[in-house]
Order: sequence, then structure tokens, then C-alpha cells
Amino acid sequence: MKIEVSGINAGYGAKTVIQDVSFTLEPGQILAFLGHNGAGKTTTLKTIMGLLAPRAGSIAADGKTLDRLDVAARVAMGLRLLPEGRGIFPDLGVAENIDVVAAANVGPGATFTAEDVYRLFPVLAERRTTRAGSMSGGQQQMLALGLAILGTPRCLMLDEPSIGLAPNLVERMFDQVRDVCRSHAMTAILVEQNVAAAMRIADRVIIMNNGALVFDGLPDEARGSDFWSYF
Amino acid sequence: MVALQLFVNGIVTGCALGVVAISFSLIYSTLRIFHVAHAGIYTMGGYVAYSLVMHGVPDILALLLAMVAAAMAGAAIQVLLYQRLAARKGTHLVVLIASLGLLAVIQNLLAAIYSANILQFPGAWSGEIVNLGDGIRLTKVQFLTVIVCILAYIGMMLFAHRTLLGKRIRAVASNPFLAEITRLRPQAVYVYVIAIASAVVCLPGVLVPYDLGLQPYGGVTPLLTATIAMIAGGVGSITGAFLLSVAISVVQNLSLLVMPGEWSIGVTFFVFVIFMLFRPTGLFAAR
Repeated sequence: MKIEVSGINAGYGAKTVIQDVSFTLEPGQILAFLGHNGAGKTTTLKTIMGLLAPRAGSIAADGKTLDRLDVAARVAMGLRLLPEGRGIFPDLGVAENIDVVAAANVGPGATFTAEDVYRLFPVLAERRTTRAGSMSGGQQQMLALGLAILGTPRCLMLDEPSIGLAPNLVERMFDQVRDVCRSHAMTAILVEQNVAAAMRIADRVIIMNNGALVFDGLPDEARGSDFWSYF
Repeated sequence: MVALQLFVNGIVTGCALGVVAISFSLIYSTLRIFHVAHAGIYTMGGYVAYSLVMHGVPDILALLLAMVAAAMAGAAIQVLLYQRLAARKGTHLVVLIASLGLLAVIQNLLAAIYSANILQFPGAWSGEIVNLGDGIRLTKVQFLTVIVCILAYIGMMLFAHRTLLGKRIRAVASNPFLAEITRLRPQAVYVYVIAIASAVVCLPGVLVPYDLGLQPYGGVTPLLTATIAMIAGGVGSITGAFLLSVAISVVQNLSLLVMPGEWSIGVTFFVFVIFMLFRPTGLFAAR
């Protein structure tokens, strides 16, 4: 899915958090969206998702403006968000998590059905009746990713998916994200503190500082530049 | 023998209270609203059934119609009051006060229409005695209350854990933010929840007045006791809310053996306070 963000301003109450943010993502592109805490990355994702109304600017997906669409309509179009640290229903069993989300999002011809999620993450199939909140951090994040892709995702936004995970798990999960994006021409926006892991799978890097974009380029350009000065 | 009769009476009151508690708990754990006006719905259900029965509608049909009316009233409260307050970012205190205000309105409307006197359901069947042996006696409606309320508890458990809507409701209660971005439509779920809980609370709301009569202000004490059972049972636990309701009622009834009636409620609640000191998250805490 092609994502066009043009000149958006957004914030909470009297406070403006992001200013004049513009970028375009081509279908299938994986964006590493970097920046220190409070730079405005999550706010940008929330605005794209429709959880926060922009004060200026507009967002389009595959050429269609999203301005008048509510969150549910955007999800139906294929925009998906894996929220930081709360991507599962902790009080429900693993299979119950998958069942409720599948019922609302998997239609005929869906890219990912419940069976596909169990195939991608076999550990979930072994834990069907386990209360989701009692699983390890890594397993919870697998479930969260599984919930986010159920149905027909076309742009996957991951907000700090690696938090609290062991490094080898992060690598495995990111490889899985990359494979899924490549095989289904799915766009991904990866907000990460783990810069190295994110850059490894990204084909585009944007760095945000204090609510504005300060770098936009290829991973190699980022590596070649005075990278850390942007943070 | 007296002890056994008191025990059985406690079971009757406790089962009725248990359904008030599980319906209140369903609303509280999903909407996070302390829906005090639920006591008004409970009372209103009884009056609706009463009016229908007085107009010659069969008892069963009157109960079912009261449940439908209560479901609609509950849904209206969510759409016209709570949803609007939430959209305007009303705090928990504002919502609680709105709910208290609504309860007063419902009670006063009922008093204005039906008078504040105790009304008795017509029909002799409800008072007929069922002999449980050993001289333990219940009226037919008391016996029915126990059966219906236990079935309501089982039905609620099956609904919450086996049906898709039940799972969806639990998902919204567990993580409303994720529910919003996975198209579970939490706002619609809130309306369903309050409608279902309002219909269910009519079961004791109609059956108990068959036994004890109707009064416009009669819903508050059951609701308060039910909320205590809900908290002591562990918020979010249907089983906890139901079992604690029964336990509280049984203890309250048995305490009559050793102390005068006017002390029993005070002592029961004292026991509860001590219990909460040692187990503040409740007996069946989900987390």
C-alpha cells in the first residue's frame, strides 16, 4: 500500500507534538522510523491510524484520502497498528485472542487467516488455551504480531515491537516481518529504539527529532552520514 | 433446624443477589462505570412486570417483556448519557454523579406513578409452600428464584466464555485500546453489555418482589450488597461475584442465630472489611 503523508501537524490539547511531517512510502517498502523518546513517532502513527485528528495536512493511502475515515474504516482498508506494549488481550486465552480478532477482520480471500497465524507462529498453536497475559514477553509479542496481521493487512505499523525481548528473538521476529512484507507487498513502518535491528531489515530510514523530520534516506546513506547527530 | 432454614433462606437471597452482582460486574468490568442506576433498572423491571400482570398478561410473558424493556432502557442510558459524557471526557466522578442522579429520577418517577407504598403481586401460586423435607420450607417463588438465578449464572458463564460476543466483550474489557484498532467496535459492545446486564438483572428484579413486594427505593440495598460481593469476589470474576453474594447472604442469615436482626448487616459488613484488609484484590482476582 502506498502511504502519502503530507504536511501533518498534530498534538494533544494545547501542545503540538509533530509539525509539518511529510513522507511517501511505496508499496512493500519497510521504513525504519527512528528518533529519541518524545520525538513524535508514536503520535505520527496514531495520526495515520485515525486515533488522533491532524490539525493540518492530510494522509492518503493508495491515492485515497483518509481524512474522513474513522479508525475501523482504516483498519478495514488494511492499515494495522501493533501498539507499544499492549498488543494483546491479556485476560483472554491465546485462541480466544485470535478468534475475536479474526471474526472482525478475516473475510473471504483474506491474506492471513487464523490458521496462517498459527503456521507463522507455531508456539501460539501449542498455547491455545493459555491465558495470553501469562505468557513470556516474546510469546506475547508473537501473538500481538499475529493479531495485527489477521485479515488483509497492507500497511503494518509496529510501535517498538522489540521492547523487552531477547536480541535473538528480535532478530527472528524482524526477519519474519520482512518476509511477510516481501511476500505480500505489504508496507511497514517500524518505530524502534533498537536502531541496528531496525536498519537491518529496512529499505528506508526516517529520523524524527522534536516533532520534525530531520533525516530521510536509504539505510546506507544513514550509515554513511553523521548518523547519531540527528538524535 | 432453625439454622438449616436460615441457611436455605440465605441461599435464596444470595442467589438473587448473585445475579445483581454478576450483571453489575459485567458492566463495571467492561465499561469501567460504577452504574448505580442499575438499581433503578432492577426496580423498574419489577414494576413493568407488575403493570403487565395487573393487565392480565401471564407471569412468564410479563417477565420476558420486562427484560426487553429493561434492555432498551439500559441501551438508552448508554447512548444518551454515558456515551455523551465519555465524548466530553467526563471524569469517573462526573459519571458516578450522573448515574446517582439518574437513579433518583427513576425512583421518583416510579414513586410518582405507582406511589411509594409496597405493592404485592397478585396470584396465589407464588406463595404456595414447597417442602424440602425436615421441616425446611420455601415458597414456590423462592424455590424458583434459586433455580432461575443459578441458571442465569451458568448461562452468563457459558455466554462469556463460549460465544463470540462473550469473548468480544471480554476482549473489550481486557484491552479497550486494542479492541478499537482491531475493529471490535468497543462503543457498540458497551451498548450490548449494558442491555444484556439490564435484561438479566430483571430476573431477580421481578422474582424477588413476588416474594417481598415492590417498593420504588427497594433496589439500593441489594445493589450495594452486590457491589461488595463483586469487589470481595474479585472484579471481573463472574464466579467470585456470585459465590460471594451467596456467602454474604448466608452469613447474614446465620448471624441471626447469635445476634438480633438489627446487628446482622453491620456485623456482616464488618467481616467484609476485615476480609478486604487481608485480600484487597478479592477472592477470585483475575490478575
